[in-house]
Amino acid sequence: MSPNLLLLAILVPAAAGVLALLMRGRAGAVSGPWALLATAANLGLGIFLFDKQADLNLPWAGFGLQFVLRLYQFSGFIVLATACFGLLVALYSIRFMAGRANRNQFYGWMLLSLAMVNGAVLANHLVVLLFFWEGLLGTLFAMIAIGRPGAWRTATKAFIIIGISDVCMMLGMALAGWQAHTLIISDIHLPLTTSVCTAAFVLLMIGAISKGGSMPFHSWIPDAAVDAPLPFMAFLPASLEKLLGIYWLARISLDLFELTPDAWVSPLMMIVGAATILLAVSMALVQKDYKRLLAYHAISQVGYMVLGIGTAVPLGIVGGLFHMLNNAIYKSGLFLTGGAVEHATGTTDLKQLGGLGRRMPVTFACFFILAASISGVPWTNGFFSKELIYDGALARHWIFYAAALLGSVLTAASFLKLGHAAYLGKPAENSDVKFDQVREAPPSMLLPIVILAAACLVFGLGNALPIDHLIAPAFAGTHFAAAEHGAAEHFAGWPESSMLVLMTCLALAAAIINHLLGAKRAGSGLGAVDHIHHAPGLAQIYDAAGKRYFDPYDIGMALAKVASRILWLIDRLIDGVVAGLTSGTARGAGYAVSAAHTGSYALYVVWSILGAAAVAAYMLMH
Amino acid sequence: MTDALLLYLAVLVPTLGSALLPLAGRIRPGLRNLLALAMVLTPLVCSALLLAGGQTVTVEPWSIFKLQADKLAVFMAMISSLISAVIVLYSFHYISHYENQNEYYFMVVLFLGAMMGLVYSAHLLLLYVFWEITAITSWRLIGFFRSPKDVLRADKSFLVTVAGALAMLLGFIAIYTQTGTLDLTRIPQGTVLPNLVALLVLAGILSKSATLPFHTWLPDAGVAPSPVTALLHAAVLVKIGVYVFARLFIVTFALTAQQQDWVLLIAAASALVSAGAAMIDTDLKRIIAYSTVSQIAFIFLGFAACPLVKGGAGQEAAIMGVGGALLYILMHGLAKGGLFLCAGIVEQNTHCKDITRLGGLIKTMPVTAVAFLLCALSVMGVPPLGGFFSKYMVISAAAAERPWIAAVFVVGAFMTILYLFRVFTMVFLGQPRGELAREGSYLMVGCVALLAVMSLAAGLLINPPAEIVHATVLQMLGIVQ
Repeated sequence: MSPNLLLLAILVPAAAGVLALLMRGRAGAVSGPWALLATAANLGLGIFLFDKQADLNLPWAGFGLQFVLRLYQFSGFIVLATACFGLLVALYSIRFMAGRANRNQFYGWMLLSLAMVNGAVLANHLVVLLFFWEGLLGTLFAMIAIGRPGAWRTATKAFIIIGISDVCMMLGMALAGWQAHTLIISDIHLPLTTSVCTAAFVLLMIGAISKGGSMPFHSWIPDAAVDAPLPFMAFLPASLEKLLGIYWLARISLDLFELTPDAWVSPLMMIVGAATILLAVSMALVQKDYKRLLAYHAISQVGYMVLGIGTAVPLGIVGGLFHMLNNAIYKSGLFLTGGAVEHATGTTDLKQLGGLGRRMPVTFACFFILAASISGVPWTNGFFSKELIYDGALARHWIFYAAALLGSVLTAASFLKLGHAAYLGKPAENSDVKFDQVREAPPSMLLPIVILAAACLVFGLGNALPIDHLIAPAFAGTHFAAAEHGAAEHFAGWPESSMLVLMTCLALAAAIINHLLGAKRAGSGLGAVDHIHHAPGLAQIYDAAGKRYFDPYDIGMALAKVASRILWLIDRLIDGVVAGLTSGTARGAGYAVSAAHTGSYALYVVWSILGAAAVAAYMLMH
Repeated sequence: MTDALLLYLAVLVPTLGSALLPLAGRIRPGLRNLLALAMVLTPLVCSALLLAGGQTVTVEPWSIFKLQADKLAVFMAMISSLISAVIVLYSFHYISHYENQNEYYFMVVLFLGAMMGLVYSAHLLLLYVFWEITAITSWRLIGFFRSPKDVLRADKSFLVTVAGALAMLLGFIAIYTQTGTLDLTRIPQGTVLPNLVALLVLAGILSKSATLPFHTWLPDAGVAPSPVTALLHAAVLVKIGVYVFARLFIVTFALTAQQQDWVLLIAAASALVSAGAAMIDTDLKRIIAYSTVSQIAFIFLGFAACPLVKGGAGQEAAIMGVGGALLYILMHGLAKGGLFLCAGIVEQNTHCKDITRLGGLIKTMPVTAVAFLLCALSVMGVPPLGGFFSKYMVISAAAAERPWIAAVFVVGAFMTILYLFRVFTMVFLGQPRGELAREGSYLMVGCVALLAVMSLAAGLLINPPAEIVHATVLQMLGIVQ
């Protein structure tokens, strides 16, 4: 095939997106079908490109900045995956966004995001990657800002958080490029032994995990869950950004740098991952809103991927990559069930919901599968990827395993609570929702959910399919696979360690018992974790977190304000000194000269003689 | 038409022709406006033709009056006259509300003419003469509204820049005693100046380009009419200092590593201090002016980040840095010009520059708001806008030789994002706080939209400007004659 076809993967969605942006007013009605058509074309391209190899090199900005794209197993896999999510979300949005004034903008920015993601994934030049990667800032801002009134605050927050980490990535790329003497990604292989290389790795890692939504770059996601149009959550934070961020994390860990268990960045990544799992899931546990609860899980699950890749052992890395794919499937599916509930009832506030299972059986069944998958119930896809990560974590230190397992207990507990509160029990009293009018979501919204739930089972029962055909080829050719033990290892199939499986089952049982006891005590599914929420010690922490005392964004902004105030004072000081000096000198010189001009003829003669003498002395000396 | 004639036309048409504008204004204001635009477009067209010719053109009709059009000069002249042309077009409507229009057009065109003369000067004395003409015209333009406060601010900018220029003149005298000539084409390339001389010249450059510690006149000059602030702050005046830095310390002389360190430290301090001030200030135009101070530091970063060695990896970094700085001049000029002109629309229609009393203007001024956002994104360095490439290149060049300096400037880049978003959200988003003014006139909105579109096009179609800049850098560093 001609390498120029790679450009189509960027140009087709981009052109379709620009056209969709132009469909203003009444033309907006066709923007949905148009987006469906464009995402279908994009998927067709993704299928066509999958399993092919191509290199494209075009002149671009000079100065060694060429437009280099490379299609190989890994990038083909991610392009295909993002194309699938694009199509499903577009299909879902047609009904969900119907009638909204700015739906054409939603589709336009969505298609532009797809183009950027394709560009970033295919890029084989650091600056090309950065171009598309940072380009997502604009679409991210726009997609959040078109949400409910006031959403621009969250959009700004997201822009600033991601923008700052993107600038870090810019520096990291420059450092890596000079160290490797090339900006072509596939030619960069740096050891993590020098401080400059390590600094470059950390900066690039910041960009990757920030895109993935890991802590401490997470705090815009729960806000966006409330403010942005719901399909946005399923599209960017749940699937595309995770795929892109973890793709890049894997690339830098496997290809660009030789990450080994000895490098100190490996424990750093594991700590970030474990902390993200636990802190975010603890927050998810106490949420009372369907979408916010899911948003905290979207953060928490990244922790597993960062932890898995950070282990720097093959089991963990493969597990992290498999989890990336699984998470994108079940998390976007879960968000879409949230959208179905919102569509049917007009709210996602769990206090207003309950007993929806009878009214929306298909949604409930899909929710059940997706929730089982995220909780790591055996035979679902989430189970297999988590087991691989556990195995890798245990190989490094039991404490990381323990953190990951505890995270799973809490994940399961919070989904038991969510499912119980929304779908089971009786409809909430004093609710604004008219439960007798609640209907199952329309087929165009159900179909994507059903497909995603089915994928959870298919990728679970037949986990050899994704692992052997999607992930292992990406893993092959790295320095891990080249090592003696890597190539022979087989990752698919039932977990090798029965002990780990037993522990997982015990963890799930603990979550169920906790839920049953908690629900009985509180008398409702929603209150099932109140005994944790209001436990002595924890209650105060949750209270402070609820008041956003721990939001890294707010803390950072406060620090920036203080620093700016100091810098501003310096500025005022300089202003006073410099302005004082110049005006003072001018005024002083003016006074001195005018004082010399007294009008006395005699004095002027003296000045003239003195001046002449000075000139004469100068000439005599030379 | 010969190249020499083009060069004369580029310099003399606006310089001498500006005197005709008050006369034309007596006959008909419309005629005067069109004439002014034509006089600003002349150097643009002439420089474009010189660029197409590709040859270095030198003319020397009279001892110090020596002009030379090399790639750097042509590049600079084109950017300045291009942005000035948009600003003059915008002025047609903006300035029509005020008195003393004849003076306004006279000064603006003379200012641009002096800029052209300065850019094409091949003799330091001639350069100094044009330098001071720009100082006098900008003094008059800043004090255009004539209130005592305006005049004081104008005096301040004049005093600071002229004090710097006098220091620079002392430096020129010292250069004369060292090399025996002020003719830039006769000084051997790569001559190193003693520290004191370099500092004197630098004082002039820093005062003109509003860099720490001589920067505070620039925000104060925000009392001027908005097209003037756009002209002074964004497109032309502050770029004089940067241009002379490139002309003297890259093309003609060479900085020692120690001297480069000074420049970088000053630039780093300038980037951070002014960014901090931009976070605190509440006056729309002052914030954008502080932003200019901060961004100029990035240009200095590109110019001074790498030792200008020939051959090897060091050369690659130096080319990247100088090229990035030149692209920065282009991208920043387009975007910052757009920001100031947007501020002009907001100021003229709301009669308010205090961002704490503005808000929600996107509802009534959608085009201005989007243009402002696009220009702001370009200054932040967000792709696909042009500012992305220049920001990457200067940071990258610094990372090659001095990673710590690069890290400081990355902090400066963070703060750029913060303060520009602060301005944008406070002025255009949120709840309306004052009266919701209507959108500006078609002409003015068209001008800001044009600058925003050019910022976008410069990023999407980066290849042509990058090629011009690349050829320019190779010539500047003496790699290709």
